[in-house]
Amino acid sequence: MSEPIPFTVIGGFLGAGKTTLLNRLLGGAEGRRFAVLVNDFGALDIDGGLVAVHGGDTIALANGCLCCTIGDSLVTTLLGLLERPERFDHIVVEASGVADPGRIADLAVLEPRLSRDGVIVVVDAAEVRARATDRRTGDTVLRQLKAADLLVLNKIDLAEELPALRDWLGVQSTAPTLEARHGDVPLDLLFGLDRAGASGHSSPVDAFASWSYQWSEPVERADLLAMLREAPGEVLRAKGIVRFADTPDRRSVVHLVGRRLDISDEGPWGDTAGSRLVMLGLRPVLGSLPRETTT
Amino acid sequence: MTTTVYSARRIITMNPNRPFASHVAVRDGRILGAGSLEELKGWGKVDLDTRFADKVILPGFVEGHSHAFEGGVWKFPYVGYFDRTSPEGKCAAGLKSIDEVVAALQAHEKTLPKGTSLLAWGFDPIYFGGRRMGLADVDRISTERPVVIVHSNFHVANANTPVLAKAGITRTTNVHGIVKDAAGEPTGELQEMAAKYMAYRAAGVEIAAVLSDEQAVWRFARVAQLAGVTTATDLHNELPESTVEGYLKATGSDDFPIRLLPAFAATSVPPTDGVARLQALVKKNNDKLRFQLVKIVTDGSIQGLSARMRWPGYYDGTPNGVWNVGPDDIDRILLAYHRAGFQVHIHTNGDEASEVGIEAVERALAAAPRWDHRHTLQHAQMADAGQFRRMKALGICANLFANHLYYWGDIHYARTLGPERAERMDACATALATGVPLAIHCDAPVTPIGPLFTAWCAVNRLTASGRTLGEAEKIPVADALRAITLGAAYTLKLDEELGSIDVGKRADFAILDDDPLSVPPEKLKDVGVWGTVLGGKVFEAPKA
Repeated sequence: MSEPIPFTVIGGFLGAGKTTLLNRLLGGAEGRRFAVLVNDFGALDIDGGLVAVHGGDTIALANGCLCCTIGDSLVTTLLGLLERPERFDHIVVEASGVADPGRIADLAVLEPRLSRDGVIVVVDAAEVRARATDRRTGDTVLRQLKAADLLVLNKIDLAEELPALRDWLGVQSTAPTLEARHGDVPLDLLFGLDRAGASGHSSPVDAFASWSYQWSEPVERADLLAMLREAPGEVLRAKGIVRFADTPDRRSVVHLVGRRLDISDEGPWGDTAGSRLVMLGLRPVLGSLPRETTT
Repeated sequence: MTTTVYSARRIITMNPNRPFASHVAVRDGRILGAGSLEELKGWGKVDLDTRFADKVILPGFVEGHSHAFEGGVWKFPYVGYFDRTSPEGKCAAGLKSIDEVVAALQAHEKTLPKGTSLLAWGFDPIYFGGRRMGLADVDRISTERPVVIVHSNFHVANANTPVLAKAGITRTTNVHGIVKDAAGEPTGELQEMAAKYMAYRAAGVEIAAVLSDEQAVWRFARVAQLAGVTTATDLHNELPESTVEGYLKATGSDDFPIRLLPAFAATSVPPTDGVARLQALVKKNNDKLRFQLVKIVTDGSIQGLSARMRWPGYYDGTPNGVWNVGPDDIDRILLAYHRAGFQVHIHTNGDEASEVGIEAVERALAAAPRWDHRHTLQHAQMADAGQFRRMKALGICANLFANHLYYWGDIHYARTLGPERAERMDACATALATGVPLAIHCDAPVTPIGPLFTAWCAVNRLTASGRTLGEAEKIPVADALRAITLGAAYTLKLDEELGSIDVGKRADFAILDDDPLSVPPEKLKDVGVWGTVLGGKVFEAPKA
């Protein structure tokens, strides 16, 4: 069986900026084939010149990406997508404005052809606190914040009291926050690097960096976890294959998206040279971490 | 031009000018008149048909909230606790223990080809004294092929080891809806999204088409007809081309025994596309197939703990439910179909959902005034007197889920709603007293289709354990019979065409073995259905 496809869910309330983010993704895919499941094509801003085939409930783009409308059932739409002959590098689902995106991400845990990547929740900086106290929708908003692995605090230019909002968000969610205007966030931070470990996107913003670690000797588990956790909210993604000192004959896959860290066993270590980990985060933090360790 | 006059022991017409008659005359599939033989002979030469001479004739029953999916699931074995009538008219006996379910499916398993999955439906463990079905039980059916047993609520399922293994589900799998035992091992019980996903995975994605193809709608029509139904809704369908084609083919047959009204699933496409699509579908309408309804689903279900409730919420403290279409999104959808002149049926189980539905209609009417829209709240199970008053003022109809009183009333009393709100749920008497147009329904396949049973629920309000749930909300038999005929027809804008036995209306009848107004009210559900007449054509139900 081929390698499972990373599966990302984008949640957030109506008007938070999910579609803006998706438009940026489709416009900046640059060689990676995303399949994007959305509620409504109409909201997408797809350049007519980009459309290769419009097939009713799917739009194939010239850059290899595919958009599907979810219609009435995400389950059947997703299964239908997995039956298609094309291979995709990443599947992204736009959750409805009232859905719990964490529940949708669970599908990737149940489906061997998918690997759960992250739950990204887009937050409207100007609206979220009022939304969160609404009698009918406040609980839905708070559930979404709690489900997030990574928050995108959007429209910060419209926020009235940004420091207080940051404090409040910190109480509602333990996920690290990326602040943005008009959904402008580095896509690599949201969707990771491609398989080769390289950024597909040109001109990363100044504050953002990727760092590559290699260890020839087995790594102490506690040391690595400490390194990842001591920079909470700053190391936003990490992915790698690690040979831990306590299980030196196993390949452990380390995968971090925002606040969520998964370590899974991927079989015997074999004759791979050494451990390798790529981290994405904010430059000042990464700069203070040890570049290489040889325990 | 032939005119047939049927004699009957009694004809209950729902026409207040002539509520009872001994004879009904039919010409060209329509009702020429109801009265005495002498009166009807005035129309000219008639053929007297006495086959119903000892029967009681009512207007054909109208089921205002069912799903053709009922016909889809009958492709698979039924393993529920209660007896249920199959499309062939056979009684599928209720299974009274987990062992009985396992034994029945072991036998079924032997009939299946190698390499296929086993699916079953209707399982209901709430009557087994707290014992849940476990992995070991389902593995007794097969450890080779995938086995998925879907519960009666269609939100929970039990699976066997091959299903769990294929998905890699183990004690370390941390996914909502995977039930684990005290030792942390998965029990094979799956809930909500996990249940749905695994069922589709096991069955293959083509199952969606099988569940609403031409054969499925035939099975649905037969099940409905056996219960005396002549008009039924398929109240939530994306209406893909394959389904529409099947519906057109089936309803084009003289032998198809019901009139079918599918409701377009409003969230399946953006509203502007949906309006255009529905306008195109309306042009394909025929005598037995009517596109005109739209469905919006706001919340979940009370027993599934996903209904949206106003303060003080669930009796047992469960957090509030979930929105499908929330308060901020409903206007966009409702208004598009409202402006286009369609009738919208809004699923609202909890009272907060009903409030959202009512207020959305209020805003739509302010934005685009429209008379006689007949938008209908479907279920509205927790609606209170105040909400019914608002519905009356806005011209909203109510189709209440009377069957819930029997099937889940005990759970609502003890756990979800608590005594006070359970006793006033599905408030038929309040609806009638307030003047809200009333229908009552079964939501098949969630509960079996059977309008006389649904009427019995509204009249007696008995739970499965025998508790009377709200004396004050009981309604008289005559009102209940109206709710399953003319009342339901009103909520579908068909009341000028059917729903009563009156001159010029379609000759759609339910033929009963006994008189529902004369039997004791607690026996209403036991009145036998001989069959139906649809547009003058007689459909005898096979005898069990």
